[in-house]
Amino acid sequence: MKRIALVLLLSACSGSTGSALVTFTALAGGPADISTGVTFVSGSGYDVTLARARLHLAAAYLNQTVPLSGAQESSCVQPADSVYVGEAFGPLDLDLLSPALQPFALPGEGTETLAQTGEVWLTGGAIDALDDPTVILDVAGSATRAGRTWPFSAAVTIGANRAVPVQNPALPGSRPICRERIVTPIPVELTPTNGGTLTLRIDPRGMFNALDFAALDAPSPSEATYRVPDEQGGEGGQLFDGLRSNAGVYDFSFVP
Amino acid sequence: MSSFARTFARLLLPALLVSGTPLVFAQPAPVVGAGHQLVAPKPLVAPKAVYPPDAQAKGEEGSVTVLADLDDSGVVRGASIAVSSGIEVLDDAALEAARKWRFSPALDDGKPIESQLRIPFHFHHVELLPEPVPPPAAPMTPPPVAPSPAPIAPPPAPADLRPTTPYESSVRGSKEPPSRGASDYHIDVENLSLVPRASAADILKLAPGILLTNEGGDAHAEQVFLRGFDAREGQDIEFSVDGTPINESGNLHGNGYSDTHFIIPELVESLRVVEGPFDPRQGNYAVAGSADYHLGLRNKGLTAKFTVGSYGTYRMLLAWAPPHGSPGTFAAVELYQTAGFGQNRDGRRGSAMAQWEGKVGGSELRLSAQAYIASFHTAGVIRQDDYQGGRIGFYDTYDSRQGEDSQRYSASAEITSHTDHISFRNLLFGIARPLRIREDFTGYSLDVQTPLQTPHGQRGDLLDLNVMEGTVGLRGSARLHGKILKQEQELELGYFARGDFVSSTQQRVEAATGHPYQTDAALDSRLGDIGLYGDASLRFTPWLSLRGGARGDVFTYDVNDRCAVPITGDVSHPTASVNDASCLGIENRGAHREPNQRASTVSGAVMPRGSLLVGPWKSVSASVSAGKGVRSVDPQYITQDAKTPFASVAAYEGGLTYQHRFRDSIDLQVRSVAFYTHVNHDLIFSQTVGRNVLANGTTRIGSASSARFTGAFWDLAANLTYTKATFDDTGLLVPYVPDLVLRADGALFGDLPWWKARLRGHALRASLAAGLSYVGPRPLPYGARSNTIATLDASASVGWWFVDLSVSAQNLTDRKYRLGEYDYVSDFHSTPYPGLVPVRHFTAGAPRTVMFTIALNYGGKS
Repeated sequence: MKRIALVLLLSACSGSTGSALVTFTALAGGPADISTGVTFVSGSGYDVTLARARLHLAAAYLNQTVPLSGAQESSCVQPADSVYVGEAFGPLDLDLLSPALQPFALPGEGTETLAQTGEVWLTGGAIDALDDPTVILDVAGSATRAGRTWPFSAAVTIGANRAVPVQNPALPGSRPICRERIVTPIPVELTPTNGGTLTLRIDPRGMFNALDFAALDAPSPSEATYRVPDEQGGEGGQLFDGLRSNAGVYDFSFVP
Repeated sequence: MSSFARTFARLLLPALLVSGTPLVFAQPAPVVGAGHQLVAPKPLVAPKAVYPPDAQAKGEEGSVTVLADLDDSGVVRGASIAVSSGIEVLDDAALEAARKWRFSPALDDGKPIESQLRIPFHFHHVELLPEPVPPPAAPMTPPPVAPSPAPIAPPPAPADLRPTTPYESSVRGSKEPPSRGASDYHIDVENLSLVPRASAADILKLAPGILLTNEGGDAHAEQVFLRGFDAREGQDIEFSVDGTPINESGNLHGNGYSDTHFIIPELVESLRVVEGPFDPRQGNYAVAGSADYHLGLRNKGLTAKFTVGSYGTYRMLLAWAPPHGSPGTFAAVELYQTAGFGQNRDGRRGSAMAQWEGKVGGSELRLSAQAYIASFHTAGVIRQDDYQGGRIGFYDTYDSRQGEDSQRYSASAEITSHTDHISFRNLLFGIARPLRIREDFTGYSLDVQTPLQTPHGQRGDLLDLNVMEGTVGLRGSARLHGKILKQEQELELGYFARGDFVSSTQQRVEAATGHPYQTDAALDSRLGDIGLYGDASLRFTPWLSLRGGARGDVFTYDVNDRCAVPITGDVSHPTASVNDASCLGIENRGAHREPNQRASTVSGAVMPRGSLLVGPWKSVSASVSAGKGVRSVDPQYITQDAKTPFASVAAYEGGLTYQHRFRDSIDLQVRSVAFYTHVNHDLIFSQTVGRNVLANGTTRIGSASSARFTGAFWDLAANLTYTKATFDDTGLLVPYVPDLVLRADGALFGDLPWWKARLRGHALRASLAAGLSYVGPRPLPYGARSNTIATLDASASVGWWFVDLSVSAQNLTDRKYRLGEYDYVSDFHSTPYPGLVPVRHFTAGAPRTVMFTIALNYGGKS
């Protein structure tokens, strides 16, 4: 009789609805080979030495879809159940010149589904708030080319200063500010599993590829460094674009 | 050729030849005067009445006539004073004795039926030895009305309890339709009404395989899981009350939505649950099965109940039934209010139900009316990660705007008449049903930015659903019965017709202002359903019967979508702050058009059904059944002239029944069935849209077993169901459907006569009852399993004379359990950034709830 009851019980609990809900550890930090004072050659040919690189990271998401090229998406998120397969919430203030990993504020959650796209959210408040004074990226160092050195610093915020003017008045919501705060699509190929570890490493070196230090305005007499302007356009825009680069800066990996 | 056969040939064969439609099947016929072979109940046990010593000492004498209600096993289920002696203690002594009598049941063509009879008692200063009571002559139609004078000898006390014969007998209401086999459950609530139940819907649990959950609170229809089906709020079960439909066609929250909270639990006399589409009488929505509530009030006289209990809960009930009339005549009013067991769970409701049942001329007439109003707040879902992270409590809420406002008004009239071999039954009904539901499953997830809108944040996902539905309809049958091949044969032709006129709107409401900012749907629907069925009950030998036939339905849909073309206004307009799409305006760019779109279509379905019943042999019967059922399409899916995509179910099962009466009134019934069902379009709940959406085909296999054991002082029932439900295309499990459901109910009851002498001649009544529910881990989306549900409810009561005191506890062990669990995406602003992956959500089950009740009865004392 006990056997029959056991078989009944086991068979009653057999089968699955597919996939699985998972919880995992989520960590973030600088690249494994970096340290304070790291020197590298930027894409514009400068020898850049970083003395400080701090990033305010809000959250990271994993997405199982790959955005279509040229798609006119205006929504920053897709609410359908089957789009996102992983998420980890900060906020974290990361020292990108340290390979030490910091845990996210909450354990990561997701489903056991192949992720093909990563998203990094860079905001100090609500993702769709019109303005945000939070310094997302705080960097300082020096750049040298042809014997000339530019000591520099930058404090990047993403608020009204990054708003993209509406090109078509009939489409006022075609480029909301939240799109400026989300770095995507970051190519990934990983499947979250229960108890695994998601690691996000952020390499500040990739953010300086297009920045032309020679084009920076000379510092005022009271300042010791060249200041990268916190605005769209010009060199401020180049650093901002580097911050939002989906290649060479953000690297997701997952260890089951 | 017998007269039945002649009638059959004369009335039905031409119809068959002309129309080619399947035969219709019989509806049960009232008994008295129907020309049936009726046999009156015969006394088997007739204990002495006790002549009260005080009355004897005072020389008090008199005659008392007790009106006894017998069930179909011959047990006295109710007794009241028909003719008083004018001396209370004598009346009470007669009542007490009558309750202990046992009878052989009244028989209608050999089938046990309920009956009513009068038992005269005479108290004189003489003692009569009890005499065997001669059985009344059969047949008993027409029934004698007045008892003949009892021959009174002058014996001394204590008692004269010789009843006069023949008895005055009458039989109430219509016969049940012929059984469809092992999955046709006729559930007499009887003493299991002592088990605490929150609502009339809870009585459904006496049938196997039923799980009830409710994410919407006390004014929201229960979500019913039946034998592997997630029938949602009735979309896959045909609900009715004495034939009047409860399912709401065209309800935007769910086509077929069925809220049974208007039914006062004390009025539920019995319930017929057919698990599967096996009876041709079953119509639209009978995909998983059907449930028909049968109302009656066994407590005669005036009954007043007052209940007070946990969480500021109060309930008042006033019910009346005539002392000598049918249980089908009653009036009852219920008022209820609660502060709720957690945040945002307060509510109030009132329900009034009245019914008259009697004879008019040669026909039986039943008139019913009810009114129901309710307003409740509801807590909705809780995210598991928030609860575990301490960000919200188990019984808390995210959105206090959630709730329901529900009303229902209905009236019906049924007339039943008979000729020699045909019984006619016609029922006319009308229903008005306003409903408003406010639910928030997702928080701040769905208000996505569109290019046409000015940039905005999430404004909130509260769904505000409004439905106003009017329903009129009628149903009827002609039932032929007679003998062919020396066996009783029956044939019934019946029809069903209803029209539904529904106006419904679902909008999303901004959290900050309470303003609706988006219309999800706005439909005006005119829906029609006319069905015709034939059901034959053919008995070839005393142990072999074939029952079945077919049903055909034609459905019409005329749907005006008032928001078929949501448009966006001019962004330069000063009021276009967000520039939402709206169905209220007229497009001001491009070609002009109005926002609405009308679509109409028609479709039909033919549903064959049949059962083969073999036995009983040594109390064992076997049955096999097969049938097809449909669920009409939700009006929102209607396209002009496109064939309506019915959801169609095919069901097959085989079962065994053991039914045995051991002695006197000790009965045991055990059933077990194995079943297979296939649905081509299942319904799966979507939290995103707040209602069910069509899914792919699904298949279920499983078994259901049940047992009920009743006796003079006990009533025990238990059922166990195992089901495996899978999608046809992937083989994956259907989420949310429980695969293991166990329910057990038990009640002990009786008189405690020990202190009778000290209690003015009235014995103490007492009862103990308990109900146990167990639901195994349910499959949830994303390969997950829910927690188990295990709850114990219990009650105890004592009664004396006209007063009863009871205490009941639901969830006696105070187990913190989750009534419903769901895996999906939500964002309730409980984390700093929006949740975008599916996580576990749950609705909290009620903690221990203790209620105290005092009930007073005047004029009944049954």
